[in-house]
Amino acid sequence: MAAVKQLCKSLVQPLLAVIIGLLTGALVIAAVGESIIGTYQEMWKGAFGSFYFLTSTLARATPIMLIGLGLSLAFRAGVFNLGAEGQMVTGAISATLVALYLPAPGFVKMVAALVTGVLAGGLWSLFAGYLEARFRIQLLISSLLLNYVAVLFAGYLVSEPFQDKTGSAAMAQTPMLEKSVWLPKLFAGMSVHAGFLFALAAALLIFFVIRYTPFGYEVKMLGQNPFFSRYGGVNRVRVMLTGMFFSGGLAGLAGTVEVLGSHYRYVEGALTLPNFAWTGLMATLLANSHPIGVVFTSLLLAALQTGAMGVERNTDVPLELASVIQAVLILFISAKFSYDWWKNRNNKRRESHGAV
Amino acid sequence: MENRLEMRGMTKRYGDFTANDNVSFTLKEGEVHAIVGENGAGKTTLMRMLYGMEQPTAGEIAVNGKPVVFRGPEDAIRHGIGMVHQHFMLFPDFTVAENIVIGYEPQSKGLFQRKEAASAVRSLSERYRIPINENAKVSSCSVGEQQRVEILKVLYQGADIIVLDEPTAVLTPLEVKELLQTIRHLAESGKSVILITHKLQEVMEVADRVTVLRGGRVTGTVSRSETNADDLARMMVGRELQQLTDRVRLEGKPLLRVQGLNVREKQTLVDDVTFSVHHGEIVGIAGVSGNGQSELLEALTGLRAVSEGKVYLGEKDVTGQSVAAIREAGLAHIPEDRYLWGTAKRESVEENALMGYQRKPEYMRRGVVLRSKFRRVVEEWVERFAIKTGSLHLKEQAGNLSGGNLQKLIVARELGQNTPLLIAAEPTRGVDIGAMEYIHQALLEKRNNGDGILLVSSELTEILALSDRILVMYKGRIAGELTRSEATEEKISVLMAGGSVYGSSQAAM
Amino acid sequence: MELFDWSLVSSTIRMVTPILLAALGGALCSRVGIFNVGLEGLILVGAFSAIVGNHFTGSLLLALLFAALVTVLFSLLFAYMTIGLRANEIVVGVAINFLGLGLTTFALRAVFDVKGAFYDKDMAGLPQWQIPLIKDIPVLGDIISGHSPLVYFAFLAAVLLHFFFTRTVTGFRALAVGMNATAARSLGLKATRLQVLAIVMCGVLCGMAGAQLSLGQVTMFTEGMTAGRGFIALVAMMLGQAHPLGILASSFLFGLMDALSIRLQGFSLPTQFTAMLPYVLTIAAMFFLKDKGASSAGSSQQSTR
Repeated sequence: MAAVKQLCKSLVQPLLAVIIGLLTGALVIAAVGESIIGTYQEMWKGAFGSFYFLTSTLARATPIMLIGLGLSLAFRAGVFNLGAEGQMVTGAISATLVALYLPAPGFVKMVAALVTGVLAGGLWSLFAGYLEARFRIQLLISSLLLNYVAVLFAGYLVSEPFQDKTGSAAMAQTPMLEKSVWLPKLFAGMSVHAGFLFALAAALLIFFVIRYTPFGYEVKMLGQNPFFSRYGGVNRVRVMLTGMFFSGGLAGLAGTVEVLGSHYRYVEGALTLPNFAWTGLMATLLANSHPIGVVFTSLLLAALQTGAMGVERNTDVPLELASVIQAVLILFISAKFSYDWWKNRNNKRRESHGAV
Repeated sequence: MENRLEMRGMTKRYGDFTANDNVSFTLKEGEVHAIVGENGAGKTTLMRMLYGMEQPTAGEIAVNGKPVVFRGPEDAIRHGIGMVHQHFMLFPDFTVAENIVIGYEPQSKGLFQRKEAASAVRSLSERYRIPINENAKVSSCSVGEQQRVEILKVLYQGADIIVLDEPTAVLTPLEVKELLQTIRHLAESGKSVILITHKLQEVMEVADRVTVLRGGRVTGTVSRSETNADDLARMMVGRELQQLTDRVRLEGKPLLRVQGLNVREKQTLVDDVTFSVHHGEIVGIAGVSGNGQSELLEALTGLRAVSEGKVYLGEKDVTGQSVAAIREAGLAHIPEDRYLWGTAKRESVEENALMGYQRKPEYMRRGVVLRSKFRRVVEEWVERFAIKTGSLHLKEQAGNLSGGNLQKLIVARELGQNTPLLIAAEPTRGVDIGAMEYIHQALLEKRNNGDGILLVSSELTEILALSDRILVMYKGRIAGELTRSEATEEKISVLMAGGSVYGSSQAAM
Repeated sequence: MELFDWSLVSSTIRMVTPILLAALGGALCSRVGIFNVGLEGLILVGAFSAIVGNHFTGSLLLALLFAALVTVLFSLLFAYMTIGLRANEIVVGVAINFLGLGLTTFALRAVFDVKGAFYDKDMAGLPQWQIPLIKDIPVLGDIISGHSPLVYFAFLAAVLLHFFFTRTVTGFRALAVGMNATAARSLGLKATRLQVLAIVMCGVLCGMAGAQLSLGQVTMFTEGMTAGRGFIALVAMMLGQAHPLGILASSFLFGLMDALSIRLQGFSLPTQFTAMLPYVLTIAAMFFLKDKGASSAGSSQQSTR
């Protein structure tokens, strides 16, 4: 019974945040002079209204979820990896190149591309981790900076050497991948592809790893108290680097499945414009870095975004409604967590000032 | 002539725990008054109340005869009380002068008059004969210089009462001499100095009066002429003589051998330490906290780098190895600070218990930790040690356990490793009597089973109750070794205070 | 077109200004111990408010004041969350970015009833100030004279900020707060007040940065027009070690890279490599300067859980 109570308590905060977010959204909608109910109805329809929309929400959730899961592992270990965007792009471009040029039958190419995507993203992330371990260059900053380097370099690759020169317009993208390499769609005519299943599998895998493996235990303890981990003999550098590798690998996978399942080529900006990386970060924060929670928060944020697109199509309210709601969500969650801590701080202060 | 400062009946309680119990003392103009006591005797709490960082549960403070209430450091500063903390509060990239005047900068129209500041600092330095270079960056100053900056800072702020909290802990012998001179000068120029310390030799050199605290109470206030270091040590430690129980000597083969161990960072923290622990014996390291015991243990357990020397565990050379490797070689460790090193507060009891066991083959199958199997082991521990976990049992957050219960959990966890050597640092600090008994019992059992225990404690009674042999550390060295039969509280406390005792062997092997 | 000519310098100066202003704002926050990643959102808010102010009052001065005011409101939100509620500053910064993007796009719809961009050819942009004597000096005159007032303000701000930190008492205490907040508090310095002051000043600077964007050349507001400049400003701040003069140099480097990259296309060197250079340089700088902790960015980062 107590366990159920604990679960309910930990759900109260995110639920409250969602409510406040929706209320703020309502305020903004009213400010534009639109109908609140009507707009939210369109939002619901846009996210879940038909099978087509529902699957688009799932499709959009896929990269968000994968990145969010990777970050949940990193954050659990106390490692602040802000380089998901660069890792995603690195994985995507590497996978694309393998899928385009590896001399092998289609299925083999697909698998090789997937593996390459994970490895590339993981190595790019590992690089930032290495810089911190060896040279004490703060991971927070180096991972942020490496984003730009990765995105720019990939942009170069698709503007020059690997550009699709077949069409008349010179666009920054690679040639299209042949059909045999494509990730199958889950339902005919719908946008959601096998990547979604990978994401769900990854969620279960990470949950399992953290709960049941020694590595997962060490990740958890490192994040909770690095001194305790050191005292217990945990090799903190190894855990940090491994965590970075896997979190980057998942980001790389996110980019890869988008290329193999949605766009069928690497298009400059296709992965960065939708803000998958920052949304993935939000998903993890909202879920308090819990992998199963990330599944739900990714779906929520994806629904907000696809719903907002529906709102944009059918009302005069712009799709940035989603950004506003998301921002308020995050603000509220970050405040709430700190509020509890702050309350406790006040209590402690009151104790020591207790006059008699 | 009235007292410059009076603290009357100062009492401070944190829930059930009483840190200060009806403590009173007075301070005259131009007097150096030392407050001495063991760790946890209540010195720091008393000073925090004086400085306004804590509010007393009862008692009053009067400055120059007038009762005052300090709600924060600014109030204390305004009444002329200046505190030189043990951990300096300096700004490394600023100059000495900037650090001294900060908060009370000479200014004109909002602009910082640095030249004025520098000359003000210079004249202050000359007046009190405290030499510093006002233009040097604090980060490039030695520890002794930094301390002088702190002292000048409180003088600049107009302090008439200067509180020095363990000032010589971080100084070289030469710097200590200089500091004591400075203190005398300050007193001669009319300032009052409160010296908080446990270095009794220094007290005898510089203090006019001494107040001794033990267990939150005053055990005596004497003037220097009436006392000496030995008396003070006795007052610090208590007069109850321990009846040492007889014990069967089990001493077996050497288990831990430490040879010429040196740990040096900016100063020498562990100085040429050599000793051994045998199977079937408890070696207790006594000493006032801060004499190198923590650093010694950290070096032995792999948490700190060894500068020189060797450590052997069994047959293996474990000098400078990783924590995991040393634990593997046969060491378990009850850490000094259970919240900082020994636990992850927000995790459950079960999770905390797993630390050190997560990769053991008997709890793993195909890469997965056998939680249910391990849970049964933890339940055994809970029963055996009567660990009270609350309604959630093993799922209770470790931080919610009382200090004693948490310590019992840690002891159970480390004993469960069944290693030949156990290092126990302050194993019953902050722990209730009941838990203390369990833990002592468990340690004795382990010793009787033929394992070796290295015990470090600032509680002399604990050392005497448990140890077969007692080593005393002072200033990073082994000041003396006593066997159980020859040890008395008085001999030990003299060694702890830096004196020497006839019949003890230095640098034991 | 030649690779290097004097018009390159002039256009660099113009493009540098928003980055310089925002980077100075970021430096203020950094010096009091706060890593503000929300610069992007703040600049955007400033850009939009400047257009709104100009549209409704017709006065450029009022437009600038309005831009500063609105941006300060947002930065106060940042201050309240990070200092008052002790929320993680990165999380709040990211939220501010999203909030800025969302709300400005919304307001674009609400206030001007347009999508995508608002452009009013009748609206006066920031004037070009021709400095009397200087403009006649050959070469130098074209570079220095003829910029919008905000450009001159940016350089003035850098100098003033340097003066603020090195000569005033408040600036001195602000530095102390960033260096050792615990010590500052124990001395009775009003650490919180100084931090809020820094954040507010950052808001003003970012507001001006936004105004330069939307009113400086073409008077126009486009959705998301900051296009990452806020993050570039952050990097410029780090490269410049949070020192006003260092930031002047690093912002220039970024602006130069930006302007050069367009030229370099003519020489078939991919623009992306010059664009990458500042980021790589910053990492290298961190390696060489890691022991001189001028910037407290991320030094006390803990997990956000």
